[in-house]
Parts: sequence; structure tokens; C-alpha cells
Amino acid sequence: MGTRERRERSDLVDRELSILFSKSATEHLENPKHVALSAVGGYGRGELAPGSDLDLLILHDGSNKAESLTEFVNAFLYPLWNSGRSIDHSVRTRSETREAAESDVRVATGLLDIRFVAGNADLVSALGSDARENWRKNYEKYLPNLRAAISERSNRSGELAFLLEPDLKEARGGLRDINALRAIELSGVVPVALDRVAAAEALLSNVRDVLHEVTPKPRDQLMLTEQDRVAEILEFSDADALMLEIAKSARAVDYVMDLTWHRIDQRKSTPWFKKNKVVQVTKGLITEKGELTIEPDYKIAEDCEIGLRAAATAAQSGIPLSIDACIAIAENFSPLPTPWPRSARENLVALIGAGNEMVRVFEALDQEGIIEKWLPEWSHVRFLPQRNVLHHHTVDRHMLETAVRAAALTRTVKRPDLLLVAALFHDIGKGFTGKDHSEYGGELIAPLALRIGFSQQDSEVLALLVREHLLLSTVATRRDLDDPATISFVVEKLKDPEAVLLLHALSISDGEATGRTAWSDWKAGLVSDLVDRTLAAMSGVKPLAEPELASRIAQDSEFAVLVSPNEGSFEIEIVARDRTGLLSVIAGVLSISRLDVRSARTRTINEQAVMKWIVTVDANATMPSQEKLTDLFMKGLQGELDIASKIDERINSYRKYPGIPTPPPLVSAMNDIATNATVIEVRMHDRPGVLFSVAKAISRFGVDIRAAIVSTLGAEAFDTLYVTDLAGQALTEERAKLLANQVENILSTHL
Amino acid sequence: MKLITAIIKPFKLDDVKNALQAFGITGMTVSEASGFGRQRGHTEVYRGAEYTVDLVPKVRLEVLVDSAEAEKVIDVIVKAASTGAIGDGKVWSSPVDNIVRVRTGERGVDAI
Repeated sequence: MGTRERRERSDLVDRELSILFSKSATEHLENPKHVALSAVGGYGRGELAPGSDLDLLILHDGSNKAESLTEFVNAFLYPLWNSGRSIDHSVRTRSETREAAESDVRVATGLLDIRFVAGNADLVSALGSDARENWRKNYEKYLPNLRAAISERSNRSGELAFLLEPDLKEARGGLRDINALRAIELSGVVPVALDRVAAAEALLSNVRDVLHEVTPKPRDQLMLTEQDRVAEILEFSDADALMLEIAKSARAVDYVMDLTWHRIDQRKSTPWFKKNKVVQVTKGLITEKGELTIEPDYKIAEDCEIGLRAAATAAQSGIPLSIDACIAIAENFSPLPTPWPRSARENLVALIGAGNEMVRVFEALDQEGIIEKWLPEWSHVRFLPQRNVLHHHTVDRHMLETAVRAAALTRTVKRPDLLLVAALFHDIGKGFTGKDHSEYGGELIAPLALRIGFSQQDSEVLALLVREHLLLSTVATRRDLDDPATISFVVEKLKDPEAVLLLHALSISDGEATGRTAWSDWKAGLVSDLVDRTLAAMSGVKPLAEPELASRIAQDSEFAVLVSPNEGSFEIEIVARDRTGLLSVIAGVLSISRLDVRSARTRTINEQAVMKWIVTVDANATMPSQEKLTDLFMKGLQGELDIASKIDERINSYRKYPGIPTPPPLVSAMNDIATNATVIEVRMHDRPGVLFSVAKAISRFGVDIRAAIVSTLGAEAFDTLYVTDLAGQALTEERAKLLANQVENILSTHL
Repeated sequence: MKLITAIIKPFKLDDVKNALQAFGITGMTVSEASGFGRQRGHTEVYRGAEYTVDLVPKVRLEVLVDSAEAEKVIDVIVKAASTGAIGDGKVWSSPVDNIVRVRTGERGVDAI
């Protein structure tokens, strides 16, 4: 095996065919010099595996009589057929070939590799240049067919990276895909990163060569029974090591393929004069040609967070991260401090929460080894195969798929960030012999969580989730749910209703990601039942606590503002006499000053409102001074600023990129007995002016906002507002529901 | 008891039928079929697209015989069906557990 052996094999065949061809031509043709034998396809590339077909094209110029031609071809082909060689041939003139190429993309691509073997060399070279020219000129016509063929092949033969017994040639990420990439490169339509698949091609070709030698009848599918032998010959430590390398190669090919089609699609959607439009997105990042990349001359090494920021931005906008950006980040990598700064953690959560788009971005970073640099625990599960019938994907890909599904369930839990992180790492303990992966995973994630900046309490919840991620499905399917002891068992393990909900969402995501073999409607129903019973058994719901607030400003000020920097963000304290619409005005002014609210707590006691806001400044803006901000607030309160339309403007300018589909906003209302207020919870995908719209809608409804807790977790906005009617009492259930619906409608229509 | 199955070129059916009758075979089943072999259905001077596999029309012939005669019957069919060109087909035999003649109820070798 190896390129040289393949080349030698090909040369040997060339000689054999050459002799036979010349002999047949001389014996049967009037004009023996007017025919040629050429090789196309793999043989044309000079690469022959032991069991490869020979793809032959016999060319003629029509100057020989038809009967002689038939005799000649028979004389050439019959000995070959009889020898048991696998031949795929056709006999054509130059114009017949052109016609065939026009109507069949496979002929067109096969011809790109045409090579002279015997006979009239001019015939072959003329055809070769015809073929390449045709391909370059007409790629618009061919590309959709090529794409359809690739996709059909992928559906038929599966993905090389994840199959137990993959077809090295036909499966997605395999040898045929590599050829397709080469063909796309030759068309010149977009640049194709072929260098990244060179190693993959070498490995897959070598494996294929060995496989052909080892099996009685040469085939390209690497069956389980052959994997050990092949691994041994290629000097891998065992079959798993071999499959891991194959998976790695296939992923590299898959990635380049994905990127190439994206670039092709990009070309079509942007008119030529807009092609090079560069747009600043956020600090250090720009979009160019539909990809997110790093500003030229940006000092990457001095910004340890740029990688995560780039990843989160790309994923949330639904555009890929450019290869150049990934390479630049990898080469100038500076490690994050321990613990990670809050913004880094939030970007990680935003990345994970982007759903499907996350996979492509994650893959890009993984290809450059960046994921491992951020999360060393990841290297162990990279490309790790799962050698059982249940799982279709490698461990790392499975966790990504779980996170994708978890992203759709973030509305069902109070801490979506914990759900997303747990989903991404739930199988991190796999691949260690002798260790139970759930237990060990729990042990691994606790320090990881602390390192990325979660609190001790949060890291314990994460450890619990990972450790018990199989609990619900195991108990639901194997124990008697009617037996109170079963429920007590679960209650003991989880203790907290919030943990139950998180684990439920995690179980659903894990199950769906594993597929139909492990998760069905029946199983989902059982788990749901268990969850309901567990929650019922857990006594009461935790009382919702109103925020406590202390401020450095004098409590009796009419209107006072204090701005102080706070670890990369700013803390704004406000004390003011309460009035209708105060919250919405403050929120609105912050929004139009290009300040993103990360979290906030407000409280009104005895007509005085106390507020604490943590904000970050937008990439292209500067933090206004305390005086300027105070002035703006005052103007807003006096109705001199047209906040609503300014915010609308800001929202519209945000909608530049293809956004990703996000779950719709959810607004719920419930009465809290402890505080005698109605609690309105708003959850939606973060965008400018969320709080402004919410607060405005509420105040228009004729209710008082007594307190508010605002937070942004990753890309999710989370607002909890305690409202009362004008007499200071909780709203009636009917009114509360109405309010919730109205707010939800306002938020939904404004998207 | 054996079942002899033959896939042959359609225009060769008469030749094979006559040869079998001359040998003494008194019954057979004939059906239309299509298929391909190592040449993927391509003729020698094939002009079409490489990588296509074409189904070529064939005829399937089935004959029940006594095990002792199986090899001879195969030879008869092969000789009659052969043209020497690609696409001539294949003949094979498979064991049969039991045979019954519907009208008379005869079983086994009696039903051949």
C-alpha cells in the first residue's frame, strides 16, 4: 500500500494493456494509428488499488469501418474479461464523448482525470482539453447535478465518520467525495481547501488497498470482521485506533465539503458588486463573503476571548467561521484565565445554545484543535467510536447533537445555561476502561465547571446532572412507577424540582440525539410520567424571592445615578422616585445608548425605586459619562426622547445576517402568595430593547412594577417582574393571564 | 431431484427448447427476465456513459430433472445457448425437496 505501490501497479497495467491494444489494433484495423486507449477515473489518476476497476475510454476518429472496429474492440476486451479483470469501458469519437459529457455529470467528471495509455496521443490530449474546458465553462449546469449526486450517495451509504462498517469509497467523507472536491476545484468556481484533505485521502486509500488484499472478493466496505486484521497490517494498536483515524479523516473531508458548498451558495446570493462588503460585527470580528472572520491587523494574541466570541457570534448569526479565522486563533492562541471571565462563559453558552448552527462552528474549531485547548477534557472523546448498535455517532458528535436538541428545550427550565453545558458534556466520562461513564463524567465536570466560571453551587448541579443523566430513562423503563419507593428513590437523588426539570430536558435531548433505537414515544411518555410524579412528591414549590437591594446612593434622592466600572462591564445604580413607566424609560435609554443589559435588579419600596444594572458596551460605541447618562434619563422621563422609534431603528439594523430559528418568546404569569404580587416571567432570544418593550407593555396595562430581576444567560433574555395593581395587590388570575398573553403577542410580532 | 435454471439470450430460446426436447425433457417453464453480468450490460462497442449498469432483456428457463441427469441437462443447455459473445448467461442447479403433479397427486421422482 502507499502511493508508490499504487503507482507501480498502475504502470504495470498500463504496459499490459498497451501491448494488447497495439496488437489488436494492428491485426484488425485498416487505420490502426487512428485509435487510442485512455484511462479515466481512478485509473486515470494513476492510482490503482488491488481490486480496482479499470475505467477505460477507447477513442477513435471514425476512419475505420464499423465491422473492423467491432473486431478490434472484441480482440482487445475479451482477453481482459476472460482474465477476470473488472473493466468499465466505452468506445467513442471525440464528438460522441462531448455529447455524453454534456448529458451526464459522471462522464464529465470522469474525463477530468483522463490519461493517455496507448495508441494516438493527440486524440487523447484533444479530448482532455475539451473536457477541462467544458467543465470550467459549464460548471453552473453541472454543479446542481453533482450536488444531488453527492447527497444521494450520502443518503444511500451513510457517513464514513460514524458508521460501524463504513464504505470507504461511497460514504460521505470518503474517497468519492474527495474526488468531487477535486472536480469542484478544477471548475474554478470557488477556492477549495484541498490541502486539508490530502492526509485523509492518503489514509483512506491505504486502508482500502489493505482491505482489498485481505478480503477474498475486493470490496470497499470495511466490515467489522476485517477491522482487526486491517488495523494489524497498518500497524495500528487496535481496530478502535484505526476507526478513530478513519473518522478523523472523514470529518476533515466532510468539513471541507460543507464549507465549499457554503461558499458556492454565498456566491450566488450576493451580487457581484457587493461581494467584498466587509461589515464590522463586534470587537475584532467582521463578516466577509458570508463568513465571519477576524479584522485584519487585530492583535489576537492579546485577546484571549476572541475565539469564544467569534464562535458564539458565528453560531448565533447562522454563518460559518472562516478557516482563516480558525487558523489565526489557533496560531495566536492565548489561554483563558482561570476562572474564565463571565463574558467568555456566556459566549460558550451562546455558542452551545445556537442549535444546529453550532455544529458547523464547533467542527471548524475542532479541526484546528482549538476546542481541546479550551477544554482539555474534550480530547479524550474526540472521534471516539461507540462500538454498539445503539449509537450512530462518535461520542463527541453525539454530545453536540444532544446540545442541539437541548437548545430547543431551553424554555422549559430556569437555568438554560446549565442545561446546555450539561448536554454538551454529559458523556465526557466515556472511553475510560473500568470506569462507569456517568460517575466519572460527574467527577470530571465539577472542576471543569469551576474553571469556566460557574459558582460552586452551579458546578454541583452540573455534576449531578452528568452523574445522573441516565437516571430518569433507566428508572422509568425498569421500575414500577406506581411504587412510592421508586419515586422516593428519585426524589432522594435529585432533591430539587429544578434539577428534575433540567434532567428531564437533558434526557429528552440525549434520547433524541441517540435516535429511534434508544428513544421512542413510549419511552418519552414513561419518563414524562416519572417526572410528573416526582415533582408532585416534592413538597411545594420553592418560594420566589424578591431581590434584596442595597445601594450606595442616598435612599431619598429624587433622581440619582452612579456609574462604576466592574470587571469589563459597568454597574449603574439608580435611585429615583417611583413613577409610571420608570423601568421602561431607563431600559429604553440604556438600549439607545448602545448598552447591553447583562443583568439587573430593581425594587420599589415606599415610592422609591432602587435599581442596579450591569451593562456592557456595544463593540462600536463608547460608554457615556455619568452626567450624560443622567441627562438622558431625565430627558426620557420628561418624554423628550423618542425612545420607541430609536429602538425600532436599532432592531432593524441588527437584522443583517441570516438569523437562526429560535424558539418563540414565552411569557407566563403566576401569583406569588409570599409577596402578594403577580410574577411575570419573560423568556426570549436576546435582542435590543426586550426589557423596554416588556416594561412598556406592562405599564400600559395599568400595573405597577414593584421589582424586577433581569438576566441574560448566553443568548437568552430572562426577565422576571413582580407586578401589582394600582392598589398594591396581586392581579386577578384572569387579568394576569391576559397581561401575559398581551406581552407575549407584542414580543412575538416585533421579531 | 434438481431444478435447473438457465438465463439465456431471448433469441436463443428456440434452440435451447429444441435441444432439450431432443434430449428427452418433457416439460419446462419459461419467463421473461432482465439482468447483467461482469460487463454491466454494455455491448463491446458501447457508446453510452461509463458507470451505468444496464439491464438487458433475457429469458429464464426452469426444468425439473432427476439428480442423475442434472449435469447432462446443464451441458445440453449450455451448448445450445452459447454464441461466444458477452451476455450468453448462466445455468445452475439447485436441490429440490419435493414435487407433486397437481392433477394426479404423484409425488417425488414420479412427478418429474
